Amino acid sequence: MSRGTQWLWPAAALVYAFLYIPLAIVVIYSFNDSRLNAEWAGFTLSWYKALFNNTEMLTAARNSLVIALSASFSATVLGTMAGLAIHRYKLKVLPVLVFTPVAMPEILLGVSLLLFFLQVLNLTLGMISIIIAHTTFCIGFVAIIVRARLQGMDESIFEAARDLGASPWQTFRLVTLPLIMPAVVAGALMSFTLSIDDFVITFFTKGVGEPILPIQIYTMIKVAVTPEVNAISTLLMLLTLIMIIIAAKIEARAAAGTGAVSRNEAGQ
Amino acid sequence: MMQAFSLMIKTAPRRNTNENRIARFLVSGPPMLFLVVFFAAPSLIMILTSFRFPGEFGGLAPIAAPGEAAHGEYGLTAEAYQFFFSDIIYAEIFLKSFGVASATTLICLIMAYPLALLIARSEKRFRNFLVLLVVLPFASNFLIRIYAWMIILGPESALSHFINATLGAFGIAPVTLLFSPFAVLVGMVYVHLPFMVLPLYTNLEKHDPSLLDAAQDLGATAWQRFWRVTWPLSLPGVFSGSALVFIPVLGMFAVPDILGGTGDILIGNLIKDQFLGTRDWPFGSALSIMLTLAVLSVAGLATWFARSAIGQRT
Amino acid sequence: MPLLPFILLLAWFVSLTAGCARQDENAGSPTSGNVLHLFNWNNYIAPETVARFEKFCNCRLSQDYYSDNEEMLAKLAAGATGYDLIVPTGNAVDTLIRQGALMPLDKSLLPDLGNINPAYLDTPFDPGNRYSVPYAYTLTLLGFNQEKIKELDLPVDTWAIIFEPKYLKKIKGRVTVLDSQRELMAAALKYLGYSVNDADEEHWKQATDLIVRAKPYWAAFSNTSYIKELAVGNLWVAHGYSNDMFQAALDAKNTGRKFTIGYSMPKEGTVLSLDSMVLHKSGSRPDLAHQFINFMLDGKNSAELTNLIGSGNPNLDAMQYIRPEIAENKAIFPDAESLSRLEMLRDLDRKQRRLLSRLWTEIKLR
Repeated sequence: MSRGTQWLWPAAALVYAFLYIPLAIVVIYSFNDSRLNAEWAGFTLSWYKALFNNTEMLTAARNSLVIALSASFSATVLGTMAGLAIHRYKLKVLPVLVFTPVAMPEILLGVSLLLFFLQVLNLTLGMISIIIAHTTFCIGFVAIIVRARLQGMDESIFEAARDLGASPWQTFRLVTLPLIMPAVVAGALMSFTLSIDDFVITFFTKGVGEPILPIQIYTMIKVAVTPEVNAISTLLMLLTLIMIIIAAKIEARAAAGTGAVSRNEAGQ
Repeated sequence: MMQAFSLMIKTAPRRNTNENRIARFLVSGPPMLFLVVFFAAPSLIMILTSFRFPGEFGGLAPIAAPGEAAHGEYGLTAEAYQFFFSDIIYAEIFLKSFGVASATTLICLIMAYPLALLIARSEKRFRNFLVLLVVLPFASNFLIRIYAWMIILGPESALSHFINATLGAFGIAPVTLLFSPFAVLVGMVYVHLPFMVLPLYTNLEKHDPSLLDAAQDLGATAWQRFWRVTWPLSLPGVFSGSALVFIPVLGMFAVPDILGGTGDILIGNLIKDQFLGTRDWPFGSALSIMLTLAVLSVAGLATWFARSAIGQRT
Repeated sequence: MPLLPFILLLAWFVSLTAGCARQDENAGSPTSGNVLHLFNWNNYIAPETVARFEKFCNCRLSQDYYSDNEEMLAKLAAGATGYDLIVPTGNAVDTLIRQGALMPLDKSLLPDLGNINPAYLDTPFDPGNRYSVPYAYTLTLLGFNQEKIKELDLPVDTWAIIFEPKYLKKIKGRVTVLDSQRELMAAALKYLGYSVNDADEEHWKQATDLIVRAKPYWAAFSNTSYIKELAVGNLWVAHGYSNDMFQAALDAKNTGRKFTIGYSMPKEGTVLSLDSMVLHKSGSRPDLAHQFINFMLDGKNSAELTNLIGSGNPNLDAMQYIRPEIAENKAIFPDAESLSRLEMLRDLDRKQRRLLSRLWTEIKLR
């Protein structure tokens, strides 16, 4: 540890506590044998049991999973292409289209897509509308991650491949893709998480009749708060934790492996 | 040796063969098409909608005159914008939203800076883990993070009882923590804190420790070292982080909706209400356009500040 | 690892088709079998009724819910299709008829229509009941903690208790009002002596001023949480719906509270919310829909809801099945004299809606 950091530790610890205590409370009270999130009344798994008997919640979870799989796949494919294109070619329009949805307040995206679906496409709102909406805002995140990885790479390896006679497609398939694979996977996992988690855009583009997980949670919070909300929250946190660990492991393996040729290491 | 080699390759002329042109089209085409259809077009539709009349009983009035006698007006109009400017209350809500966004950004900055500094200055092998610890809460569902504060600030909670007992000891009337501007602020800060930590950390990590060593050798105190070396160098990170917090907060409605009292509505709540309550799409679209303009000006200002601040330092 | 991309592609394809399939299933396509799609309020039909109907018609009742007329209208405007039957409140029926979104009823399929109390037929928005059949109704009124009110000596037969500072200061922080533009405005207009459908801008400004003056004394604007708060004793007065007050009174009694919840209609008059069954033109089973309506016109079925939640019942045949303490409650079943002081809300046109929205923003912000 460098000099002058003694005072940093307590300050940082407080901030970490600020970040984690609320979530810890949610998790702890999901096991609380009491309707109120107030005093501790004993350990129970009854809220989790109630959750699994709640067909609407299960349907919502299933729908959200389907949407997240579809949207993250589409966003990963399109986002990787976008990241590659922006990095390699001097494009004017694409970067704006790709990165603006990331920076805009979500409500603007939600509202404009709602209007577009209804007026121009005359599309009945439903799963498809949500999948399209999620793909739209996830593309930017994937593109950022892929592009960042490409920027950290030594260009010479691509030139070398082409000098050796590889076509652009071969270069991509045999050289580029394996090298950016950790970024692609990270992007896919990020899109999946963002999609499962998304509230605002889903709120505006969902149809009637299909329950979606975040909207279900929102309704439960607004109408009648029971510890079932804590239970579903804990499960969701567990899911994203697993996703992040997987992503971190993949990232670590790629960095340690022989596949990565970073500019830092090459330019010794 | 590798450097020389790569330099040589880089200066070789790029071959603009047909193969390359096709590749470029194939790679940039699909995302371009998708985003033009599902991002650019909807944005234009929103602009168009703000210039239309609302339908008599919901939806929108038609643009072109229908065959038979129409009920109500049709065509394009700036009525929605006139309505916006006709009463000071809408400017007030915008001002209020800006206020909340500024306060949130400032608090996030104050809380995030020590954290980012700590992570940047700790040993390399701990850094990724510490960053992960920051990102992890962010990865949980957004509503859960807000809900957690409903529990903590609720009237039955330990915190409420503690605070009200303390206030009671001084003879002050009990306060409700939840459903108040305070709760909204706490919620906003909580949700956006990681967005401030990450850009700050990314910037601080790149600082050369020898600069601080040199300053210390020249007799600078810890505060002087921070204020005259670390802080100026960290400004680009400060600006990115601030933008990443300020802009989303401007448009947020879920936090005031769940944690706020009835008077704590922000511009996002107003927009949502136009679409899902009052059935006034043109006005909702006009509000959204005004919000977009606000966001663009903030982004533009931030970029200008960042450029001039960095310019001064070099 | 060439296998991995194929697996992913398969997963994506499967999930996409699953998404499309689910969408069709929910939209009520012909492949979904004998299903009646009902779009109804939360908690607005007894489970026994549903079970009995499904046996009766040999079909399945698929339900979707809304908690607000505006929410329902917004969803329909957003292109929600496939609902056979909807149960909107009067002003929303008004809107739907004017939008041309409803299918006319086939009276020949509704022999029990005569069971309905004529006082609730032939409404201004649907003369001759071409589109709607009354289902249930509720009154907007004041609920209160009986003991506290007696102790503080406050009048509960007038809107003054929530608008006049001289009463409000005794119950500051213990009173809530409905978080509804139309309802709160209606209460204020009635108190000022105007009609709930009065759209005069000047009158609306007076009502707004009245509301803004009283607002500092109110604890909150609340649409549902007041039920629990009354029942546990945190609130002493609440502006709300008669069936919610019935619930609060029941809760207080069942949990053995030392107080009772009472509710009464203010003498200046109030809003009557009549919910009716209508057929949406995008529904695919009008036959089943008519069966359901006629089923609910049978007094025994219609009484179940009243006995469950204390809602007003426009069905004369149902009176014999309703528990006496509910049937005699004037706040749930108003007599003819009270009926004359009740008004139903009409829908507003777009200019009025815009103005009301602005006044509401002012009310919230000031």
